Amino acid sequence: MYLSKRKLSTEFVKRAAVVSTVFLVVIFTVILVAFWSIQIVHNEAYSRLAMRNITRVVELPAPRGLVVDRSGMVLAENKINFTLYLIRENVADLGKAIRLSSFFSGKSMADIRQIIEKFRKFAGFYRIPIKSNLPRSTVIFIQSRQDEFPEFEIGLEPSRTYPLGEHAAHVLGYISEISEAELNAGSPGVYNLGDYVGRSGIEKQYEAFLKGVKGSQTVIKNSIEKVQQVHAGISPEIGDTVVLSMDLQLQEFIEKLLAGENGAVGVLDLKSGGVLALVSRPSFDPEIFSREIGQVEWQAISNDPLNPLQDKFLQGLYSPGSVFKIVMALAGLQERLVTPATTTFCSGSQVFYDREFHCWNTGGHGAMNLFPALQNSCNIYFYNLGKRMDIDTIARYSRLLGLGGPSGIDLPNENTGLVPDSAWKMETSHQRWFPGETISVAIGHGSMNVTPVQMLRLISTVALRGRMPKLHLLQRIERRGQVVMESVPEFFRVPIDQENFELVIEGLYRVVNSGGTGWAAMVPGLDICGKTGTSQIIAKDNPRYNLLSKEKRFMPNSWFVSFAPRGNPRLAVVVMVENGGDAGAIAAPLAAQIYKKFFANERLF
Amino acid sequence: MKDYFKYFDKFTFVLLLALVVIGIFLIFSAGHSTHETNYLKQTAWMLFSLLVFFAVFSLKIDFIFRKAFAAYLALLVILALQITVGGTISRTRSWFRLWGIGLQFSEFVKVPLALYLAKMLTEFETMGPRAFGKAIAIILVPVALIVLQPDMGVSFILCAFIPLVILMRKIKPAVLVVSVLMVALSGSIGWHMVLKPYQKDRIVSFLNPMKYKTSIGYHVIQSKIAIGSGGLAGKGYLKGSQSKYQFLPARHTDFIVSVIGEEFGFVFTSILFFIYFLVFYRQFRFNFRNDEEFYFVFLFNGIILFQFLINVFMAIGFFPVLGISLPFVSYGGSSLLSLFVGEAVIFRIKINNYLP
Repeated sequence: MYLSKRKLSTEFVKRAAVVSTVFLVVIFTVILVAFWSIQIVHNEAYSRLAMRNITRVVELPAPRGLVVDRSGMVLAENKINFTLYLIRENVADLGKAIRLSSFFSGKSMADIRQIIEKFRKFAGFYRIPIKSNLPRSTVIFIQSRQDEFPEFEIGLEPSRTYPLGEHAAHVLGYISEISEAELNAGSPGVYNLGDYVGRSGIEKQYEAFLKGVKGSQTVIKNSIEKVQQVHAGISPEIGDTVVLSMDLQLQEFIEKLLAGENGAVGVLDLKSGGVLALVSRPSFDPEIFSREIGQVEWQAISNDPLNPLQDKFLQGLYSPGSVFKIVMALAGLQERLVTPATTTFCSGSQVFYDREFHCWNTGGHGAMNLFPALQNSCNIYFYNLGKRMDIDTIARYSRLLGLGGPSGIDLPNENTGLVPDSAWKMETSHQRWFPGETISVAIGHGSMNVTPVQMLRLISTVALRGRMPKLHLLQRIERRGQVVMESVPEFFRVPIDQENFELVIEGLYRVVNSGGTGWAAMVPGLDICGKTGTSQIIAKDNPRYNLLSKEKRFMPNSWFVSFAPRGNPRLAVVVMVENGGDAGAIAAPLAAQIYKKFFANERLF
Repeated sequence: MKDYFKYFDKFTFVLLLALVVIGIFLIFSAGHSTHETNYLKQTAWMLFSLLVFFAVFSLKIDFIFRKAFAAYLALLVILALQITVGGTISRTRSWFRLWGIGLQFSEFVKVPLALYLAKMLTEFETMGPRAFGKAIAIILVPVALIVLQPDMGVSFILCAFIPLVILMRKIKPAVLVVSVLMVALSGSIGWHMVLKPYQKDRIVSFLNPMKYKTSIGYHVIQSKIAIGSGGLAGKGYLKGSQSKYQFLPARHTDFIVSVIGEEFGFVFTSILFFIYFLVFYRQFRFNFRNDEEFYFVFLFNGIILFQFLINVFMAIGFFPVLGISLPFVSYGGSSLLSLFVGEAVIFRIKINNYLP
């Protein structure tokens, strides 16, 4: 029984009820259709996105394989390294993140910005490596405050270490971070930004074996990248072990011998073609590259005028000097231009093509045939031989004996050197070859240049009477104890008669054992055969020769190439001392010490 | 008393309780991974709200309408005081701490405002410029105060009273044109002078969420991923990865629909929507003794419906993220209390028809 004060018409109220109901039906239909579309029609796509939100495939880096010498001494191995990572999608304040990164790493803010910029194309969850080899105190500081620094993560990874420091650095080479350009050029999936690759030496040559197989792991992470669950994944596999033919003891002995000098020494096992020692001075510590080389360190090492990064044994280009007389003698004999009986008279100098050429012995050697010519390294004898041969013949024999081309040793970045001939002259200076130029080339001067490794192959071929060995540093590669690759001795026949080699060897024997230029290399009881080479940096007819030749940097380079024993050759040694001066006095005695050391320990080999 | 029980709309009451209880379960799930106890607080608020519900329900309806203006003025004073001396919770001043309980006074404005507007609509025979202007002013004064707090969500919801008033009463076209122009003007002033950069960001990101995927559009995308990945039957209670691993923002408040969407799927989300449909359907159907009762029920239900729609549309990217909660379900004691006070008035109006 209520008192109605209603004024609204019944019609209006009814219409309001109808309109509200229709509105409700329409709007709830719209909502249901929208949810149907999202939850049922597009369910798969959204489920995928939800999965992608929480799952992350984390790459597990593989430790690099070990490099050991022939007796198993470790030359390169791995150690644990803490790396600071920045995860961009967890960064709340980029400026603060950059400041903190700079504080933790000791790098400048500009450097940090550059690093972040480098990874700009990567997904937000990608771990950007800010600094490796993080000090332990920083690691503890960050880890104990992980909640305050959700944008940082500490990774525990293997990193490369070279326990011997500068020893055998050129053989081992170094590794460094892969660049963006290399990543774009290479096949995808193998490397990622932040990975390290071999840059030189064995590290580069056997990269495919050493790098190992990366593992992976799927983890469930929450919105701030905290790992909630770890799924079992694939463990990384360590790279293969590379066993070198190198003998660390001999290597270190030679490095010590060469202390204070610049140059290169190579020792070859003539039975196998395996390199026993390969020294290049000055050296460097390869670990600075795996330590993330700093700008200052990089400047210092790359601007060093002595160029410690260069492997002089493979890359150093030098005039062969008198060592080239070996090639001349072989060519003369093989071309039947001379016999052992052919004599030439040396008066100290002789005029060829209106120009006077000198022997190093200004007093003259007198009349001599091939043997004393080699023994005393008489220039006049070889000038005359050169005059009777044309440059293209000289070039042909040079190439037969391995000059002007890569030696094929299993190390990267080898220089080829230069063997001049008439075609080369025409191509480079559009001039024909002048016969006068041949006279200089005949004693290893002129435009000819060679690398020490080519000289090692040359003397080895002579020692083996025309069997040219394939040089290698690798002995074998092992994977989980199984040999997956092994070097077998390989020899190529050089088309020069064996008796001509015997004749030259007689000369080389006299160089050392009959008071020749290499007498200082003599080791009693050991038939060492060798050849000296003193290659001038400045010409003797330079008006300031007497003044300049006193300066170390203008002193001649000293060569001594040799092998022993004569009858059953076992070892070949090439010594090259930059600006060493007289080869007989400098390079030859070094070789003698190497032979003594080797044969004293021969039972070890 | 017997009659009270007999004619009380038990069915709608159970539906409302069901919404709150579902909400508590969802709030539990939303805070589970981060060990939050909001579900306990919400349960306490539910019990308190029910007490208040019955207290308001027992009042005479004339008394309620008589006191509406006083309550409205009192709230304006409190809001004004809050702006000048209020505390700060999450960079707004809309919260007020009382004996350790956070009170959001802006939520309480809804009921007195609806009551007073209903009275006004009854008083004016025709809606001339003066009457319409007065109605707009009554709405915009609290809106302005709440904007200053700032609480965009609630002030936006209160603005919905304006179209509701227009729908209730036929307005002269000239008045409408002028008001539309004024809205446009105040909109542009608001954009340039009132809205904070983060609020502008939200509106911009709504227009192009993929462009702001990792920054401000993040919320909407994560919400859609949660709902979409729920599928037909959901991932199971407490098993939604978007919620569990904290990809969903404001899971217990603004994006609670995404939690049910992810964990319970399309079927149960539809059931939730159907409960709302039934509540609205039943509350829009009633008899009344006085016009102001009619206006109040339509205004208050309209506001709740509007809030529901905006919240659901927000979760699926149909509307910018404005910080608007899902009525009855989202966490928030002040909101729940305010809603139950309004519902008590509606239940009272409905039962009056059967009582002497």
